[in-house]
Amino acid sequence: MVKTDFLIIGGGPAGLSAAIETSKRGLKTLIVDEGVELGGQLVKQTHKFFGHEGFYASVRGFEIAKRLISQLNENVTIMNQTTVTGIYEDIITAYDRENDLIVEIEPKYILISVGASERFIPFENNHLPGIYGAGAVQTLMNQFKVLPGKRVLMVGSGNIGLIVSYQLLQAGAQVKAIVEITEKVGGYQVHAAKVKRLGVPILLRHTIVKAIGDEKVEGAVIAQVDEKFNVIPGTERELAVDVICIAVGLVPSIELAQMAGVKIEYIPELGGFVPFRDREMRTNIKNIFVAGDLAGIEEATTAMIEGKIVGVAVARDLTGIDLQEDLEKMQKELVEFRSGPFSDKVRKGLERFFPQSAHSYSKDAQQDLGPTGKLRPIIECFENIPCNPCQTSCPSGAITVPGNINSLPLIDYSKCTGCGICAMKCPGLAIFMVQENHQPGRDLIVLPYEFLPLPEKGQKVIALDREGREVGQAEIVKVVKSSNKTHLVHLSVPAGLAQVVRSFRIPQKSDSIVCRCEEITVEEIERAIDEGYTDYEELRRYLRIGMGPCGGRTCRVITLSILARKTKKSIQEIGCGTFRPPSMPVKFDSIVKGEIDNEK
Amino acid sequence: MKNEYKVAIIGGGIVGCSIAYHLAKFGENDVVVFEKDYLSSGSTGRCAGGIRQQWSSPHNVLLAMRSVSLFEKLSQETGVDIEYKQGGYLVLSYDDQEAAQFEKNVQMQRELGLDVEILTPKDVKQRYPYIDVSGVKMATFCQKDGHANPHLANFAYARAAQKLGVHIMTHTKVMAVEVLPNGFELFTNRGKIGAKILINAAGPHSREIGNMVGVDLPTESYRHQIMVTEAVKNFFNPMAISFSGNFYMRQTKHGQFIMGQGDPEEKPGINNNVTYRFEREMAEKMCAIFPFLSKLRIVRHWSGHYNMSPDAQPIIGESTSVPSFYYAIGFSGHGFMLAPAVGEALAQMIIYGRTLHVDITELNLDRFEKGVVREKNVV
Repeated sequence: MVKTDFLIIGGGPAGLSAAIETSKRGLKTLIVDEGVELGGQLVKQTHKFFGHEGFYASVRGFEIAKRLISQLNENVTIMNQTTVTGIYEDIITAYDRENDLIVEIEPKYILISVGASERFIPFENNHLPGIYGAGAVQTLMNQFKVLPGKRVLMVGSGNIGLIVSYQLLQAGAQVKAIVEITEKVGGYQVHAAKVKRLGVPILLRHTIVKAIGDEKVEGAVIAQVDEKFNVIPGTERELAVDVICIAVGLVPSIELAQMAGVKIEYIPELGGFVPFRDREMRTNIKNIFVAGDLAGIEEATTAMIEGKIVGVAVARDLTGIDLQEDLEKMQKELVEFRSGPFSDKVRKGLERFFPQSAHSYSKDAQQDLGPTGKLRPIIECFENIPCNPCQTSCPSGAITVPGNINSLPLIDYSKCTGCGICAMKCPGLAIFMVQENHQPGRDLIVLPYEFLPLPEKGQKVIALDREGREVGQAEIVKVVKSSNKTHLVHLSVPAGLAQVVRSFRIPQKSDSIVCRCEEITVEEIERAIDEGYTDYEELRRYLRIGMGPCGGRTCRVITLSILARKTKKSIQEIGCGTFRPPSMPVKFDSIVKGEIDNEK
Repeated sequence: MKNEYKVAIIGGGIVGCSIAYHLAKFGENDVVVFEKDYLSSGSTGRCAGGIRQQWSSPHNVLLAMRSVSLFEKLSQETGVDIEYKQGGYLVLSYDDQEAAQFEKNVQMQRELGLDVEILTPKDVKQRYPYIDVSGVKMATFCQKDGHANPHLANFAYARAAQKLGVHIMTHTKVMAVEVLPNGFELFTNRGKIGAKILINAAGPHSREIGNMVGVDLPTESYRHQIMVTEAVKNFFNPMAISFSGNFYMRQTKHGQFIMGQGDPEEKPGINNNVTYRFEREMAEKMCAIFPFLSKLRIVRHWSGHYNMSPDAQPIIGESTSVPSFYYAIGFSGHGFMLAPAVGEALAQMIIYGRTLHVDITELNLDRFEKGVVREKNVV
């Protein structure tokens, strides 16, 4: 039997935050967690979090887990790989998987912070291997470094669907499409923008109809839906994918709470059935608290605040110390965070338990793009989300998020020094630096970049716009490596594209190189022919094919045969082009020496 | 290809394509370009790609300045990166008389708004320690001069024109022209085509085209040889050129050095061959001035043609004897650099009846009736 002051079931952001508060006040705190490592979903989050710096804004999820764990002290006991199996009238039991035994626990206070489970949706063949929940994909990929497949269909465009799509791209998979059954993207615009500019289409009013394959997923049929979400016949189409990732939402895991006798209510705005709780996160049972996604589907920052509230309330109850001020401070934080439009639903749901309040926030967006020609940030953050690292990181105080944290950022270009720190910090990767005509005829764009390997200075890349469409050629002029892994890639693009280019693609070199001097591939030749360069000499001039030191010794014939095949002309008709001396590269020196020799 | 166009342009080099693009840009896209070979197969595709504004006659300076302002926008306007670089033109003089003339030229150029510096040999050495300045009397430098990739610039105009509806017919040779009361009938290897307006942008073949129409265009084509080295890391920003020293050289974006000289013994006529004498003379001369070249290897050596006019200045305008017959010819080695401004000006003449940016009336054919004042800044 383990006796403890405070049992925390689930060591995610809420549980860890509660443990920090109770352990620092001397309470014996036991964290029981199913996972291999503490942190809950945080350990698989590789993106930077929103919010403010007090709650780790701009820090990546897995780093937040580490920082939270580092604040635990000797009063905390951790039981990993252990699942609470029942909250009985007399005792609480937990199954320790490593030692294969049931542990009995008798706590004075309990926090249930077990989070949520993933929703699933029915469609034909949804039993096939290759169909994953988004959380499972993150666990495999980000925690255990296993890529579930190469070509992915993402179902659902909430924040999780968008974030996991982005992470799949980072891991080297292709995301063929994100289908969203409603008429608008569910997650943050900035998350959607990140995948769109990498060329991932987000198909609104689309759903998955069926998975294709016998033994495993080999494809998916998607289709358009009408206003009632019924499939419109005839709009079906197939995608060749080997992974179907389902990210259609979360359901609070209420099992333990319900069996403990906590009152459960159905509140769709909070994710379905949720436990009752008050302002202090206490349920109708005096010593049982809830926090995090179990208390209502939200996000990690509010889970951390809720966990802190629980920790402070439990410490007050058990130590008798007046902690009202600490408690109210955290409650104010919650109100602050939940003041934005994305929390309208949560506030509406929570109204069922106790009255909600919200601060007003500013919808005024930046009106101008600043002085043309100056190196300066362009902030493409047009949605009221609780986030302000741009403001707090700016060394010159040029950026403000006026009033509430949900307000839109504004920039005073006269104060901006163009340092780029905001672009590095912005969790939404929504800040770009631009400078028109940094060289005659060229604009400079600085993009936040989180892919490996990093491009190299001088590398030619294909510039993409906000929708991931190719808009021209660009050259990498500088790469600033950042310790927070949001590197700043400086891109020189043809003038006039400063407000167009927001991403780039590294041209994929196929293996079949035709011209080895200049590294020109079959694909490039075929593309050039498609663009209208249908003469050998035109191709040569356009691609530099055959212009290297070998003078086209090997590539000429191959190029001619590609030309013949594509243009349906005979090689005879195309001709062999011109040969020019010298037939091998000749040094200036050799000519000069020979001349002296010949004059003797 | 249609049977009838408003405008037919002969020549698919940069001049023809620039005229076609500007016509379409200003609203006239019923235009066909006839190219007997492939795009950039003539002088454009064989030139060094220099873009210079330092000229000895004021109207050439103005025309070149307009060209530069168009080159600056060309990549953006067409979506093709033409590898334009304003690394400047370093003009070296090895001759006292020429140096004195340069002083006057620079004064005139500055009066026209061009920012040109006069450099002593010491200045040159300081800026470009890898140039041997022996024998240099003085130099002039204009940062806004530069160079671009002639193929890509040619293609940029061609593709942009096509996007606006212009037809470009390669491997289409105009063999004869019949002048009709109200236009022209062109006989090509692909059949007969009618046009209301005919433009001769045939570069080295401009005189032949003139003969087909019955207008004597006093141009002669002279072979010029040119060669290129293997690519090395970029370090050489300007185009280095000398009229008295008889050479030019630049480093391409790709890293290769491209260079050439004029040959006073060249006879007029079309000749695509190359001589070893050229390589020998160049090797000796260029290694002395640019010692870093000695270990570099030459990979290719070819030739193209300067379509020379009697005063080494282009002949641009409408024929007085055959109305609606226009020409932009006789560029005397400078067609690439002037093509943007000339294309724009000629298109404006045709559509609006007058040029809007640069006055080119002095470049018309009738100037030769008054006598010849030769442009001196020519390699």
